[in-house]
Order: sequence, then structure tokens, then C-alpha cells
Amino acid sequence: MYKNLISNMAANFAKITTIAGIRATRRIHIVTSYNNKLYKFIGQTGSRKKIPCCTMSQEPPKKYDFVKESSKRGPIRWTGLIATVIVGGAAVYYVKQAKDEMEKKREAEKQRSIGKAAIGGPFTLVNHEGKTVTNKDYFGHWLILYFGFTHCPDICPETLEKLQNALDKIDSTKDAPDKVLPIFITVDPARDDVKTVAEYIKDFHPRLVGLTGTEEQVKATCKVYRVYYSAGPADADNDYIVDHSVILYLVDPDGEFVDYFGQNMDEHEIANTTISHMLKYKFGNKK
Amino acid sequence: MPAPNANSRQLCYEARDKYYECRDKNPDKTEVCEEFRKMFEKSCLPSWVKHFDRKRVYEEYKKKLNTEGYKLTDE
Repeated sequence: MYKNLISNMAANFAKITTIAGIRATRRIHIVTSYNNKLYKFIGQTGSRKKIPCCTMSQEPPKKYDFVKESSKRGPIRWTGLIATVIVGGAAVYYVKQAKDEMEKKREAEKQRSIGKAAIGGPFTLVNHEGKTVTNKDYFGHWLILYFGFTHCPDICPETLEKLQNALDKIDSTKDAPDKVLPIFITVDPARDDVKTVAEYIKDFHPRLVGLTGTEEQVKATCKVYRVYYSAGPADADNDYIVDHSVILYLVDPDGEFVDYFGQNMDEHEIANTTISHMLKYKFGNKK
Repeated sequence: MPAPNANSRQLCYEARDKYYECRDKNPDKTEVCEEFRKMFEKSCLPSWVKHFDRKRVYEEYKKKLNTEGYKLTDE
């Protein structure tokens, strides 16, 4: 908030200096020097305009009366006026900059709060090495989360392949500021134990992390990410399909949800959107 | 039941595609595709077969809807 105060003060200062500048300019019409001595015009506003421009060497027009100014009063000179203009200009520039910056911050704050309220949050799960992890373990990384299951017939492998291609594209893009850590989270913890998940992720991106957990842990994670899942009827061999939302979630290094990619997005769109979010994060809204 | 891996998924998809290709070529003679059907069911999990069959019906319906449009007389 102190930033607000400073910019307000700067705004007022700019106003004052600008007014002073205008006054000084007006005064040039009525106060001019002659033979290094200061004179003041006595005249009406209208008559001032008739003064031929105040060249220092020029004789003052005879038809006007001049009153000799007291020598104690500081003379207003061109240098003073120029200094005023410079200082005033700098103040105006600073205020404009400060205003732009505040606008940007406000915008960022707005976006952040929208994302925060809607999707994402804390979770505790077990990774494919059998280690318990939480969302905090992934702070500092850009993440793309995908919820699926290892017995998934076609959509999950297709989506994970698409994600793999998108990540390859990001990795090979020179201007991409960071790499993305892809995470697969199962919605079928009953069948997808640590070993099954570890086997499954081998078929996809080398950085892919697989997460599973207890029924409760998975349920809680799906809840914070608003993922729908529902296991279909199982046959005698406990064979079934889990119906679930097919969405990729982009999460920034602060653990905040940033964007999502639906099934209609191809690998190029995913890569480009991710890179643009990374650049925005690096150079834009956040410190 | 072990989760399918990349290899078994590939085998399943191939068997599926062969069977549906046969069905496309012989829309009225299911008995011609009997062998392909067996191979399909052998290569894929039962739940997957069910899933793909349902998906195919849906895709066919979508295609029909797009090319012929909706006909009230179908009802």
C-alpha cells in the first residue's frame, strides 16, 4: 500500500511542477531581463501577447512601461524553466510507469484468485517408487497432470502419447524457459498399485511420474481437481472400465492451477499454450 | 489380471481394426468375420471389447447422422 502512497505523492508533485511550469512560462511574458537587470511588464493579459519575443539583446519596446524589480527577488531564467520542465516530465513519466505497473499487478491478482478458487489444491499420494508425496514436493516445477487408469482401453494411452509429443516439442523449443514434469494420477487405486503404475508409465515420457494411493487419497485429489470418475460394472475376472474426465491440468511452480487442456486440443496447441504461460510467469505478472 | 502394456495394447488394436475392417466390407454377412472376431476377443480384455463395440456403434450412428441426417421415420 505504501507504493500507492508514493505514486499519489508523485502525482501531486507532478501536478504542482506542471502548474509551476505553466506559471513560469506565463511569467516570461511579463518578466524579462534587459541588460542583466530584471523588469516587469505592467500590462493587461491581452497586451502581453503583443510583445515581440523576448530576445535578450533586444531593446524593450518603448510603448510599454517597465518597473525595475528589486534585486533581492530571484530572477526566472530559461535554465530554471528548462529544469522545471525536466523535473516535471520525469515526475509525469514516473507516475505513468507506476500506474502501468499497478494495473499489471491488479490484473495478475485477479487471474490468480480466479484460478485459486476454482481448481487445484493439496494432495497426498504415493509415487511409482513407493514414496509418499504431497503437492508441496512438486513446488518449483511446471506440472501437467493427467488422471487416468492403467486398464484404460484407448483414451488414456492416446492422451499420454499426445502429452509426450507436446513435451518433446516444448523441450526442443529454444525460447521455452523451463521443462514440464508430467504426472499421471490413477483414478483406479483398487487395481493400480505402485508396481502396476511403475510398469505402466514406462511406455510413455521418460520424465512421467505415476501417482497412486488409497481410495481416500485418490478421491480427495480428484475432488480438489474436480475430476469425475466412476468405475463400471466388473465381470467375474474383476475386469471393468473406469469412466473419467479427460483433462490435462497445467500447474505453475507455485503449485497454482494455470490452465487446462481438453480432448479437443492437439499437441501443438498444448505446447504453445504451455510455453506462453511459462513466459508470462517468467517475465510478466510475478516477481 | 495384469494391466496391458504397450505391446499388448498394440496387438489388441490391430485385431480390433482387422475385425471392423471385415465388418465394413461385409456389412450383411457377420459369419465371414467370425475368425477375426475370435482373434479380437482373444487379443483384448473383455471390457475393452465391450468398450470398442459400443464406440463403433456410436461412431456409425454419428456418421449416419452426418451423411443422411435425422429421419423421423427411423423411429
